[in-house]
Formats: sequence, C-alpha cells, structure tokens
Amino acid sequence: MATEAAPRQPTPAPVVGALRTRATRFGELSRDVLRNPTTLVGLLLIVALISIAIFAPLLVEPNTPDPYQMPRDWGALNEPPGTPGHVLGTTPHGGDVLYGVIWGARTSLRLSLIVVSVTVVIGLIVGSLAGFLGGKIDEFLMRLVDVFLSIPELIFALAIAAVLGPSFANIVLALAAVFWVKYARIIRGQVITIKQNEYVDAARVIGDSRFRIFMKDVLPNSITPVVVQGTLDMGNVVLIGATLSFIGLAEAGLAEWGVLVSQGQAGISAGRWWASTFPGLMVFLWALAFNLVGDGFRDILDPKTESKR
Amino acid sequence: MTATIGSTGTADATLRGEIAISVRDLQKHFPIREGALQRVAGHVRAVDGVSFDIKRGATVGLVGESGCGKTTLGRCVSGLTDPTFGGVYFDLTEADHANLVALLAVPENDRTDDMKRELETLDKRHRIDKLGKKDWIRYRRNCQVVFQDAFASLNPRHLVREIVGRPLKVHKEASGEELTERVVELLERVGMGRQHLYRYPHQFSGGQRQRISIARALALDPELIVLDEPTSALDVSVQAQILNILHDLQSQLHLTYLFITHDLSVIRHMADEVVVMYLGKVAEVGSTDDIFDDSRHPYTHALHRASPDLEDDPDAEFVTLEGSVPDPARPPKGCRFHTRCPVATSVCGWEVDDVVRALEDAGGSHFGSLTDVTRHSDFSADLVLTDEKAAVALEEALRSDRVPAAARGAIVELSREGSRVRVSFQEVPEVELTERGPGHVAACVLDQSMRA
Amino acid sequence: MTTARAPQPGGRTDEAVAVASVVGLKIHFESKAGRVHAVDGVDLDIRDGETLGLVGETGCGKSVTARSFLRLIPMPPGIHAGGAVLFRPHQRCPDCSGIGCSVCDDTGRLPVPCPHCRGSGCSVCGDTGFETIDLSALPEQELRKIRGDRIAMIFQDPAKALNPAMTVRDQLAEAFYQHRTGEVLELAGLADSSNPLLRRHAGQRSRLIERALLSSPGLRSQRNQIETVVDSMVASALAETQIPNPVKVMERYPHELSGGMKQRVMIAQALACNPDLLIADEPTTALDVTVQAKIIELIKELQGRRKSAVLYISHDLSLVRRVCDRVAVMYAGRIVEVGRTEEIFASPLHPYTRGLLAAIPSRSQARGELVAIRGTVPELIDPPPSCRFVDRCSYAVAICRELDPILQAAESGHDVACFIHNPPAMAVELPTFTKRTS
Repeated sequence: MATEAAPRQPTPAPVVGALRTRATRFGELSRDVLRNPTTLVGLLLIVALISIAIFAPLLVEPNTPDPYQMPRDWGALNEPPGTPGHVLGTTPHGGDVLYGVIWGARTSLRLSLIVVSVTVVIGLIVGSLAGFLGGKIDEFLMRLVDVFLSIPELIFALAIAAVLGPSFANIVLALAAVFWVKYARIIRGQVITIKQNEYVDAARVIGDSRFRIFMKDVLPNSITPVVVQGTLDMGNVVLIGATLSFIGLAEAGLAEWGVLVSQGQAGISAGRWWASTFPGLMVFLWALAFNLVGDGFRDILDPKTESKR
Repeated sequence: MTATIGSTGTADATLRGEIAISVRDLQKHFPIREGALQRVAGHVRAVDGVSFDIKRGATVGLVGESGCGKTTLGRCVSGLTDPTFGGVYFDLTEADHANLVALLAVPENDRTDDMKRELETLDKRHRIDKLGKKDWIRYRRNCQVVFQDAFASLNPRHLVREIVGRPLKVHKEASGEELTERVVELLERVGMGRQHLYRYPHQFSGGQRQRISIARALALDPELIVLDEPTSALDVSVQAQILNILHDLQSQLHLTYLFITHDLSVIRHMADEVVVMYLGKVAEVGSTDDIFDDSRHPYTHALHRASPDLEDDPDAEFVTLEGSVPDPARPPKGCRFHTRCPVATSVCGWEVDDVVRALEDAGGSHFGSLTDVTRHSDFSADLVLTDEKAAVALEEALRSDRVPAAARGAIVELSREGSRVRVSFQEVPEVELTERGPGHVAACVLDQSMRA
Repeated sequence: MTTARAPQPGGRTDEAVAVASVVGLKIHFESKAGRVHAVDGVDLDIRDGETLGLVGETGCGKSVTARSFLRLIPMPPGIHAGGAVLFRPHQRCPDCSGIGCSVCDDTGRLPVPCPHCRGSGCSVCGDTGFETIDLSALPEQELRKIRGDRIAMIFQDPAKALNPAMTVRDQLAEAFYQHRTGEVLELAGLADSSNPLLRRHAGQRSRLIERALLSSPGLRSQRNQIETVVDSMVASALAETQIPNPVKVMERYPHELSGGMKQRVMIAQALACNPDLLIADEPTTALDVTVQAKIIELIKELQGRRKSAVLYISHDLSLVRRVCDRVAVMYAGRIVEVGRTEEIFASPLHPYTRGLLAAIPSRSQARGELVAIRGTVPELIDPPPSCRFVDRCSYAVAICRELDPILQAAESGHDVACFIHNPPAMAVELPTFTKRTS
C-alpha cells in the first residue's frame, strides 16, 4: 500500500500516462515470453521462417510468369544436393528443391494467414452472435456447428477439394470450411462466461448500450483463447494443407512443401532422399514453431496468472 | 461539482416528496427447466410480493440468508432485471404515492376502467420497467450499484480512468482533460488520487477496488445507490474504512442507500430502517431500533441470536434453528418460516409435506412403503401404503411426538381405510404483514416482543 | 481447559502438554515478483484439549500455517524455509480400548512415552517425555498414517472438499478402512481370521480380482460382515453430528445435501477416527448465519466430549470469542499476540489487535465512526527487518523501523510482539500505551 502514501506526482498528460501503463504491460508480456525458453525457440523459428517467406524474391530469382510455380530445368532431373545451380538438388520433374523450400514458405504463409484470418472472423461473428444473443439464434447456430464438427476435418476438406477440383484456392476454401467451427465454439463459450461477469452488469447500470458493452467489455475479455488457438492453427493449417497437396489436391507444379514431398517420395527407395526430406523438414519446423509459441501464449495469457502479476 | 450534487439532492426534495423509491408488490419468478427439451417444470419464486418504501436520504437495510431473494430484489430495483409482477416506482410525489398505494390495494379484477387508466399513467411515468426512453435514462443516472465482488465488477482490461470516467463518457458529460479532472475529483472523494488514474484493477487491493467501484457509482450524481453486500468480501479493518466512506458520502451528497447484506452488525451500524426477508417474502420491516430491540418476528429473533457480537456474553450458547431453508420452488404454506420456527403454533400453515419431512428426519421408515399420494388440496391428502400394517404404523407415528406438537394440533382429520391414510390439516391463509407500531410491521400470527 | 491428568510418564501432571507445536516455521512462495514470505517465523503451541483460535486478515498466513501441519502446501511454488511442526500423537487408551475411562479422562486417548528417553525427557521430545514427531520432516508414507487419523481437517467450502462422485457412506468409510483396519476386523468377529484377502479388504487394499474372490459363497458372508460393521461405524459417526436420519443420508451424494449438511458430513469425516488435533479452516465462512450457529455449537459440543485439541482458523473475531479458549493473532506472516480469549478481548496489547477489535461494527459505535486501521497489509516480498505493522501503527516510533520485535510474554500467559510491552535492551523512547480495561 505504499501507493497511497506516495507523494503526488506531477500530473502526467493523460495519453502519456495511459501509454506508459500499456507499455509496461506489453513489456511484462514480452519479458514473460523471453523467460520461457521453449516459447523463445519457437518465436525465433517463426521469425526465421517468415523472413524466408517475405524475402523469397530476394533469396532466389522468382519464376516468371507465376513465381508460385516451380521453375523446371528439364536438363537436370534428380540431381543430388550440391550440384552447381541446384544447392539442394532437384526433383524428378527437374524442379529446384531450394526454390521449392523457399517459395513453399511463402505459399505456406499465404495459406495460413488467409485461412486463419478468414476463419477467425467467421468464428468470431458466429460465436459472438450465438453467445451474446442466446436463445433461438444460439440454438440454431450451435446445431450448425455440431453438424460441421461431426465430420472428420481431413475427410471433409478432402471431399470439398475433390468436388471442386485440384487447386490452391480450393485448398484454402476446404480448410476455411473446416476451421471456423472451432473458433465459433471457443468464442461462444467465452462470451457466455464473460457476459455473466459483474462488470457487464456494472456497464448496464451506467447506461451503456448493448453493442458498446459487447465491444468494450465482452469481446476484449473473450479473445485470449482465440489468440492461442489462432497461433496453433497457423501451424495446423500448413500441416493439413501439405497433407491435401500431398494426395494431389493442389495444382501440379505448385511451389508447395506437400507437393514436393509427394513428388520426391517415389525416389526415396532409390536413395534420392533430398526431394522429400528438405520440404518435409520445413513442414515439421513450421508446425513445431507455431505449436511451441501457441502453448507458450496459453500459459502466459492465462488470466489466472495474469492477474497476479 | 460538490455544490451541484448537494443542491440537487436537497432543493428538489421538498418538491418531489419524501420517497425516493417505492417497491410495490414486487415478484420475480425464475422458471425451472427440466429434461432434454427444457420444458418449464415450475417456478422458483425468488421474490414473492415485496413492498416497502425508501425515504430520501435514508438507508434501508435488506437482510436475509442466501436464497431469500435479497440480491434479486436489489437487481430489480437497480433495473438489471425486470420483475415478473409488480414494480419499482421512482420520482413519486406524496399525492402520487398515496394514490398508487390506494389503487394497488384494490384487487386487479375489481378495478374500474378509470382506476386502470390512472394506474397506467402512473406506471408510464414512474414505474421503472415501463418508462419511456428519456425517463429511463433519467432513472439510469439516478440509481447506481456497488457490487459485492469488486474484482469481478471492474473490467480487468480497463484503466481506472476509463472505469470511473465511463459513465461520464456514456452520458456525454465530459471528455479529454475535463474527464480526467472529474475522475480525479471522484477518486479523491473516496480517498484515492491522481496517482491511481493509470493503473489496472489487478494492481489494487480489495478495499481500493471497492473504492473505485464507489467512485464510479458517484460519477453521475445519483440519488440512490444500491449496495449489494459491498463489504462482505473484505477484511474487517478494510470494511470499516469502506463503511466510513459510505457514511461520509451519504451525509455530504444526501444519498439514499439500499444496503443489502447478511451481516446484522453492519446493518445495525448503517441502516435507518431494516427489511428482513425470508424465502422471497418480507418477514419484518421496521426502524433499526425496532428490529434490533423489539423484533416481532421469530426469524428476526433467530438471526440476532445466531450472529455473534462483541458485546454478547461469550459463554452464552447460540440459539439455533432446526432444519434448513425449504425448497423455494414449493415454499411452505401459511407462514413460510413455520417449518423452522421455535414458537410455531397450529395456525401457522402446517401441511402434509411438513409432516412427511418431520417423520423422515426423525428416522422413520414409514415412507419406504408409500406407493401413492392423492392430494385433495394443499392441506389434505390421502397416503396409500403397501399394506395395512404400514398404514397403522404411519397413523400411529402421526399421532406420536415424532411430529411437532404444533403440527399435530393442526390436524383436523386423520383416518385410515385399509392401507390408505387420510390426513387433513387446518386450512390457513398466507400470513400477512400486520402493524406492530409506527412504521413497524411483521408477518407473524403471534404478537409478542421477541427480545425477552 | 487444562484437564487434570492421571500420572503420566515423567511425572508430569501440571499443565496440559502441547499436542502440537509450531517452532519458527517459515513457509515462502516463489513468485514472479520475488520471494513471498507468507509465513515468516511462527511459534505456536496447541495444548491438549484446548481450542486455539488463529485469527488474522486475508493473506496473513493463517491458512498456510494450518495447512503446513498436514503438508498440504504444494512445493514448489512453496518453500519450506525453516522451522518445524512438532506433533505428539496419542494412542488408544489400553485400559478402556478407546471407550473412555478414568485413566484417560474419558477421552479414550493417552499420550505415547518418548521412545528415546522412555519418558524422562530428552532433546527429541523437548523435555516433555512424550513421543514427538516432526511433521515437516516425516516421510510421506508415515504422514499419511497421521492424516485423517491423528490430525484431521475441516475446510472452508464443504462443497469442494467432498468428492462429488462418491456417496457420503463411501467417503466416510474410507477413513475407517484406512485407519481402523484392526478394529473393523475385530468388530466383525474376524479378528483371528488369518485370511489375507479379508485383511486386505478391511484395509481397503483389495483389488478387483480379490473382491471377486470375496464374492464367492464361502467368503461372502464374512465380507458382508465387514461391510455391515463399517456401515454402522459410518452411521454412528453421522449421528454424532446430529444429522437427522443418518442411514438415509449415507446413500446420498454431496450435491443432494444442503451446505450445512455437507459441513456436518465433513465434521463427521474429520472426527471419525477420534483425532488428537482437529484443524478447522474457516469452517463456517461459506454458510449462512443460522447454519453457522448450529455448526459452531456442534463443534463446541463434540470438542467438549472428545477433548480433542482444535485449531480454529477464522477472520471473524466475534465468532472466535465465542468458540476458543486461547487466541493467536496473526499479521503479515507472524504471530503478534497470543493469550487467553478473555484477556485478548478485554485488554488487547498489540496495536493491531486493538485496531481489529475497534473496526468491528457494534451497537455502541455511532455511524461513520468505526476506527479503521489505515492502509493495507504490506507486500510480503522480501520484507525489511522491522515491525511488520509499523506503517499502519499509530504508536510507531523510530525503533519500530529498525528492529523486529519478537513474541515475548508481557503478562503471564499473554505474549505479544511489540516494543511497547517488551522494551528492547537499549534505551529508546517509547510511546505511552493506555491499557484498555473493559
């Protein structure tokens, strides 16, 4: 209680004061991240992978006209790593494995960002409506969610992609159709819990409108698990996306890790391990990194530990 | 700011009458849902016909045990829950109030069209769940709430400035620099200050958080503050700080309090008038002195005797109540307290269920062989047992001292026909609040002072 | 409460021996902000047969102290930073086999002579001549034998302390199976039975296969005998807590019972094995006042009959006044005052105790004039070596900030940790403290 006896400080300008507190809060958060070694490893991996994706055009010459298509060197099929011009070797179709690894990162980033942001938005809307309004709307939306949840996600995505034909866009669509349900559920549960808090009643007593109460009191306090799930899904989406393209649902020649693994797998028994191994490793690292960070967030953002800080 | 609050409170008081809030026959029922289809299987009558007035500038204490409906009543008064029946009236002049009481005294079916029209006009202007938008906003500003759990009632992601300044922002009273100054002023009122503006609720102790809640409640210059157990989560030394602050604010700002608590010593210390509730009904209303020194309801008396006080004789035994609070979905008939009342008489509303419960608690095995119950009325039923022997045993048990003497006295018919036992009790109406002194009413068939 | 004892080892007949002593106990917690000294050097004696109240505000360490008896504090984050919890267990009185006789003063329990010195007094038993166990250093397995048998605990929230998936009967039966195996066999008339299966069953160590074997026609009757015995033990334990119709309540699940009823079941469970020490951690805080009164009367009555020692933890001073023989007041991880209840309430010596008493609203105090203690409890992260109450104390002088007062006798049987009553050796200026006489 030293605070109450504290001498009067000179009046800080309101914005500065608020910023300072928020900055301290952010500082505390980042300190927690840095203190947890596994989260830190995950975070460094993510930074590395995303840098590869962003700087892909600088790392290797983009293919023309479509840089997401593998360049083909028909003169160099199944070259081992270390071949001049093909550091990580080539695929049975003459694709440069290094190009695939680097531009595959870009494909993966694109895929996961689109899918996660679209599904989070859909889930947020559906879950909020169901949780905040309740009653018949809740009943209807949640039965809809139940229907989606009762279909195994991989098979469902497979079915969609199979019906719509093999293309990257359809993989995005298939994954989005599968992933939003989870967010709707999480948000609904959160909203229902949070709206029973007394500070929501307190806001009603003040006379604030329902919409503003939702935006200021309910939603910000419901969002934490979505951040965690979203981080985990950045990894999961790429994992399932790679699976789908592995079984041939992406267009041929796409610079995508799953496609490369699929192309290289036939050669593994013949000792041509490189075409599958490098992209496979990338999928592994990508999924690992986001899972490490997601789990770290879960611990750090846990409101129980947060309030004690 | 001080000046404005003070003047609105007093100057208009003469004009607007003495009564700040009038609660009239308030009822709130919650449905009990059952089964997969969530069918409504019955209603819990959380608040079941409560009437009382709160005078301007006074503190009314609302006491009772958990489940008596005091919190629900508080939520109805603060407009967070709409009542099922009856209502909360505000801004009544003396004449309006008298008129309203007279109108509501007439049973609904006997009201003439004129009466109905008059009631409707009164409702539209004064009943808080029927107000027009403008009047509703006025009431919203006039009535604020301080909740029990100061941690749960402050948004953990908002800074103190946002929390305390929010009412001002919502009603577009201040913004920017002016808002900050107003917030500082409010914080100073509750013994905090500028240095607390930019902190989050979790950075404060329980007592400080409750101060922040009070500052927020004061922001709109309300007349009435509903205090829902404001100190039950606090330690005694901090509770003293908060109670002192509440007292000072009341005298400075001419506030009216509805103070909800289960703690009798706090009520005695804070309230001018006390409403004692039991199972959704008012047991007794009176001035604090009446309730503490001359209580006329056995339940009030039991509450006193069960609450330890530093001035009691430390070696005295607690006088305790038998049994537990009955199921509010099916409250006892007559007087709701009779099942636990130490001085219950035969006219307190005994019925079949009470006797069954009493026999079960006494360890009887009579009801293992019970096959069917036919109810003729609330007070009369046929109990069918498997065989004649069991029926004889039950009949004997009903006549024995395993059933409270008062309940036995209420039996008007007890007969047996084979394995069928018919038992009927004296039919009694629900007990009503009766006058015991000026402003002192109690709902008990007895009229004796309980402070012997 | 000092009960006259029959001649005991070491020839001690005077004051009741402490059944448990906390000696310089320090329990710290590691947190992000630093090391929290939650319990920081607590000394406490609980005498045989007395009810000792441990009072203090939230976060003063009273619950941590109580839990350290049974080592219920998770470590980490908890750290046992020093001190010990000594316990002197009793045995069943051999003269009356636990029923109560003149030798054991109707308690059915007698202290055990110290195995090291055979009752003549040594360093292990602290010169008491009775067996003394350091609970803070006891192996987990040994501790388990003491938990629920010699030391039992009642928690604040009975709804959380009872297993929702077990009937009342099963929860209570566990205590008998665990700690009263021999007695169960004896009462079932199977004391001489050498059948290991039955012995294991009575100790609740039987496996599914063994239980299946026990269902075989030859053994079933014996198995049923054991269960009937345990059932009747459970029923009588419940009946003792004045639960109406215990046979019926036995078959219920916790959620079918009211709060007061659940707390009675907890008490029945705690007293099932006639413990030497009962720790009641705010047993009535979650209950309504009329129910609280019943539970308090029940604890008082049972304690009077069983003469177990009770450590009663509460924040409610007016309640403690009605229940306890002695009171220890705790503040910020320390005991600041301890003495007989009448003395503490009539003439409190520590400024904190005084403040606490004045803060309770009562009839005679006018509105708005409660004497609140200013400020709040200090942070217990690496506290400085000064009196912990100094920032809130209206009597504080310079010395209070420099030195840490220790708990010393100010009057006979009334200890206080304050320089006003126990001036330090050096000459310092001290405030005047008018003693309150009520």
